[in-house]
Amino acid sequence: MNVAITPAMVGQVIISGILAGALYAMVALGLALIYGVMRVINIAHGPLLMLGAYTTFFLYSALGLNPYLSIPVTMAVLFLVGIGLQRTLVFRVVDAPELSSLLLTFGVSIALVNLAQLAFTSDLRAVEYLTGSLPLGPFAISKTRLVAFVFAAAVTALAFLFLQRTRLGKAIRATSQHREVAMVCGIDVQRIHMLTFGLATALAAAGGALLAVIVAIQPEMGQIWTFKSFLVLVLGGAGNYPGALLGGMLLGLVEQGASLFLTTQLSEVVAYLLLVVVLLVRPTGLLGGRQT
Amino acid sequence: MTAKTLGALIAATAVLAASLPVEAQGPIRIGASMSLTGTYAKLGNYQHEGYKLCAKQANEKGGLLGRKIEFVVYDDQSMPPTAVRLYEKLITEDKVDAVIGPYSSPVTEASANVTEKYKKVMVTPLAATTSIFKRPPDKRRYYIFMVISPAEVYLEGLVDMAAKRGLKTIAIINEDTLFAKAAASGAAELAKKRGMEVVFQEAYPKGNQDFSAILTKIRAANPEVLAASTYFDDAVAITRQMKELNVNPKMYGLTVGGDLPEFYDLLKQNAEYITGATQWEAALPYPGNQEFNDAYKKEFGREPVYHSAAGYAGCVIYLEAVKRAGSLDSEKVREVLLKLEMKTAFGEFKVDQDGFQTAHRMVTTQWQDGKKVIVWPDELATGKLRFPTPPWNQR
Repeated sequence: MNVAITPAMVGQVIISGILAGALYAMVALGLALIYGVMRVINIAHGPLLMLGAYTTFFLYSALGLNPYLSIPVTMAVLFLVGIGLQRTLVFRVVDAPELSSLLLTFGVSIALVNLAQLAFTSDLRAVEYLTGSLPLGPFAISKTRLVAFVFAAAVTALAFLFLQRTRLGKAIRATSQHREVAMVCGIDVQRIHMLTFGLATALAAAGGALLAVIVAIQPEMGQIWTFKSFLVLVLGGAGNYPGALLGGMLLGLVEQGASLFLTTQLSEVVAYLLLVVVLLVRPTGLLGGRQT
Repeated sequence: MTAKTLGALIAATAVLAASLPVEAQGPIRIGASMSLTGTYAKLGNYQHEGYKLCAKQANEKGGLLGRKIEFVVYDDQSMPPTAVRLYEKLITEDKVDAVIGPYSSPVTEASANVTEKYKKVMVTPLAATTSIFKRPPDKRRYYIFMVISPAEVYLEGLVDMAAKRGLKTIAIINEDTLFAKAAASGAAELAKKRGMEVVFQEAYPKGNQDFSAILTKIRAANPEVLAASTYFDDAVAITRQMKELNVNPKMYGLTVGGDLPEFYDLLKQNAEYITGATQWEAALPYPGNQEFNDAYKKEFGREPVYHSAAGYAGCVIYLEAVKRAGSLDSEKVREVLLKLEMKTAFGEFKVDQDGFQTAHRMVTTQWQDGKKVIVWPDELATGKLRFPTPPWNQR
């Protein structure tokens, strides 16, 4: 029943894996930031991505805004949502044991999904824009996924630059390395926490906006992204930001490769087995996470 | 109390009791557990409306066996264990005269154990899983009756049309859940019977969003027909990615999802040429179908879906069987149902000795210029199949 695998098929799958990987990396970077700076594990990361997708959908269907032009707007809206969440809820669990942050963000996650179901109903939505693909020799490159790749790579690069070069970025990294010392150096740690949560949420929102053009939008679309982001985080090394990029690419390639060489059903199994192996062999992630 | 008054009392009671059969002809109470809330709420309510319309119309025509019909309905919240409890309560506490089926295969599967225990006939209008009816001899069920077509024949239309056009190869994919799996294995068997070769078959997990690898394999297998046993999210995702990866078989058909108006709303012209399968359509020329549509819209202010029609038909079939049996007695009604051949607004009804549906036909639809056209079977078709599918950029 199985078809013979040709080099062209492998190439196609590598392309798909890399295209998906950049998106994984960008979304996971948000989760990595929050964890790195606040030690909060944000289960609501996926549902926030879902809100980003809906924002893009409504901007598109109500105002006719081009889904790609809407990305900055969507990011800005969710940046504010993120700040709101941090100021009202998340700041309470920053220094609490990790279980508290898990429980809190788990609750937020359930609430967001159910609110979305109430507000938007569970009917599927889609932004039908730029369908089809570019033929490239024996390969077909999906237009929407290619654009998503370019955007995600650019946004991730900008986020890295921001963290490396700007004063604010340095302050964020300083807070993540040692909060007390950062505080002594005059960094307003509360403000940094807020901005970090906002920025991370905006990254999730950008992922949602790009996905809005690729998959159908519904209130439960987000949860799977929380899990994928975790996987990326652990593979790359928690708290290690370039690790997210490596982890994202790796996850994309492993999922696609497993679907091709084994079956689609086994692709998640393989991804999680990889997680177990990495945890056993290099518990701090492939690029090494922060030691605690 | 003296002996005299006691005697009078006994006499009075005796007179009352004697008059009871005439005086106490209250309504015939039919019990059902329905999924009015929970996961199946939307579809369960459609079925419930079908029951309500059936009862209303029957009462307007004088009821059944000279008595009015009344439904006793409880909400099972779409949960099989709750439905089990509710049927137990309906039969033992409420002492209903009859029962009728709940929504969905899982709930029916659980509830049937109760109705069998009390030997109650249950027409189950919305259970499509073969294994509920076809069971090993020692676990046979005697009192349940299937109304809709089984999962295995959902893709029969696609396979039949492909075989008639001389197509030889087919790829079959399905979501890895009970119903979708049954539909896929049914399609594989039908295709082999028609001399087609199944060149690729694979399942994918529920909730899968990325189909690029599976579609890459399908493109390499290069089948003339692609049959996908889907629900709805996956139907949309597969179609979109087929366009992205330029997978373009001569025929491409879906099970559930492909026939819904939302499918076209989401995919627009990319839904053109795709076939879907359905149990019932408003446009089908079944006896009383037009009248059913009109009455339903008048009563509930919305278009019926197949769940409404199946619920309605299930109730009509049961009432007809009771009328012919002249009694509510389970054994008598069962005998009638086993031999009954009937055409309702939902299509034909005839079951084998296991209560398994054998006469009802699935129909296959195709999107043509934004409209859903029935293309199979020939005797019910409202249009011709558009074949083969053109390249994606020419739709």
